Amino acid sequence: MIARLGHSARLKGSSLLYGLGFFYNVLKETGRFFRRSQVGYKVLILQILFTGYEALAINAVMAIAIGAAINVIGQSLLPQFGQSQLMYSILIIVITRELGPLLTAFVITARSGTAIATQLGTMVVNHEIEAYIAVGLNPISYLVVPRFIGVVVSMLVLTVYFNIFGLMGSFIVVQMISPTPIGEYLGTLMSMLTVGDVVSGLTKALVFGVVVSVVATYQGFSVNRSSTEIPVAGIKAVGQSFILIILTDVLVTLVQYA
Amino acid sequence: MKFKIKFADQIVGLFIIVALVFFVVIVVLIGANQRWFAKDYRFVTSFPSATGVAPGTSIIMKGFTIGKMDKLTLNDDNSVDALFHIYDTYYDKVREYSILELTVSPIGLGSQLLFHPGRSETRLAEGTFIPTADSIDGKALIEQELVEIPPKDDTITRLLANVNPLLENTNKTIVTVNRTLTEVNRALAGQSSGPLGSIVGDTSAITADARERVGGILDQVSSLLSELETISANLAETTDSIRDPTGLVTKLLDPSGSIKTFLDDDDALYDKVMSIVGELDKSMSSLQGIVSGLNREMPKIAGLLNETRTAIQQAQDVLEGVKNNPLIRGGITERVEQQPLNQAMREGSFE
Repeated sequence: MIARLGHSARLKGSSLLYGLGFFYNVLKETGRFFRRSQVGYKVLILQILFTGYEALAINAVMAIAIGAAINVIGQSLLPQFGQSQLMYSILIIVITRELGPLLTAFVITARSGTAIATQLGTMVVNHEIEAYIAVGLNPISYLVVPRFIGVVVSMLVLTVYFNIFGLMGSFIVVQMISPTPIGEYLGTLMSMLTVGDVVSGLTKALVFGVVVSVVATYQGFSVNRSSTEIPVAGIKAVGQSFILIILTDVLVTLVQYA
Repeated sequence: MKFKIKFADQIVGLFIIVALVFFVVIVVLIGANQRWFAKDYRFVTSFPSATGVAPGTSIIMKGFTIGKMDKLTLNDDNSVDALFHIYDTYYDKVREYSILELTVSPIGLGSQLLFHPGRSETRLAEGTFIPTADSIDGKALIEQELVEIPPKDDTITRLLANVNPLLENTNKTIVTVNRTLTEVNRALAGQSSGPLGSIVGDTSAITADARERVGGILDQVSSLLSELETISANLAETTDSIRDPTGLVTKLLDPSGSIKTFLDDDDALYDKVMSIVGELDKSMSSLQGIVSGLNREMPKIAGLLNETRTAIQQAQDVLEGVKNNPLIRGGITERVEQQPLNQAMREGSFE
């Protein structure tokens, strides 16, 4: 029993060290990526297209729905306590600080995290990685870094869109319940919104983007030789990404409010 | 080739640029609403307490927010130094003799920091000290009518403005009464060293002495009363006996009663009694003589009894020796007991 626990801990420890080493290599190659003019740029554009642009529709629908839901709940609940003015503060905190980056990260994990892990796993099984190495291409710089940057940029951009659509969705509902001039709505909203709120949301988006991309590429490369390992890698990528996203969300929130 | 793939660069560029534009617009709007690009003029003031005021509190003039509180610090004199700013659009309102007024609602409706401009044409320079309405300087400026204080905006505010001094006076009165009661309580508890305390102490000593004396007197009076009660009861009983028409006195005094008849016998009863007494006297003398004789003979009787006991013991020894002697054993004829002739049935055995 103790021997098994020790063996498991040793495996986890070595796996963690390997993951940290992998992350270090990704960061190192990312620094070099922008100094090189290479084919990896096209991979980056396509990654942003698939991860960011194609997720915009579902992201916008979610943002508008959540903004509207918060507004409906707030409009019916807050006046009972005589705190109607808190509506804007709640909207900003929920959309900009918390749900914006969190839901965007979940969407990207579900859509792109699995895709990246599966794609890289398939390439390993088909010995494509060995072929890249054979012709002198670093798989991390060519395969991982464009995906890493693409996911991070997509996360940041989608978070900005989520904020805009979320706050606008709330405005649409406000028009239905109690019509308000857009100038007044935006004026009040902007007087409540601080740069700290926006930076907080974008910081989380950056961290979540790093987590999702690194976990997905790591799990993709963890496939050895069998095609049956590919879906397992995809499942692991999603599970680990969700856990790490929630943990880092708590950590970043603690850092911001501490 | 698919449209998206063919124009991927353009789509992605537009996707990112639009987001950047939105982001910049949002930041600019935030900045504009939060006056990042406007100049503010800073002034200082002082409050006796920071209650009701905090960093970010709006400074209001006639319903308009003309500035905000920036910083509050508690200084060495235990008053609160405050730094605040006035927006550039309202800087011309900050004239000489201007004051700040902190109004705190006594019924918990929050507080307001009001700005009252001075009646002067001279603008105050940035960093000038602006007194508050409840400071000595501020009160002097108000009394001299150098400050432009508008009438309160609404009925409730006016009422509250009138209620505030009343409440303050009431509060002062209550505090004074409370202090007086506390002093009286301390004096009554013997903790005060003032004149009232000494008076209360003397009174307490006198009262204790009086209580002690009255206690002794009361004990004596109580015992007296108890005796009087007993005497009264006896008197009442005697009186009742005397009042009784069939009582002893009446019977004794009845001329036809037995006692009267019994006593009226020419001293015959008396003589008889006297002779009995004489006989008794003689008998007693004889008895006394017998007892004296017995007393004299008592040692002899004791010696005689002692000798008799010794003789009986010796006779018992002799009889035992005779009984145990084998020569004369059986030499004495055994006595035969005479049985009664008429034996009762019950005296027989039931064998």
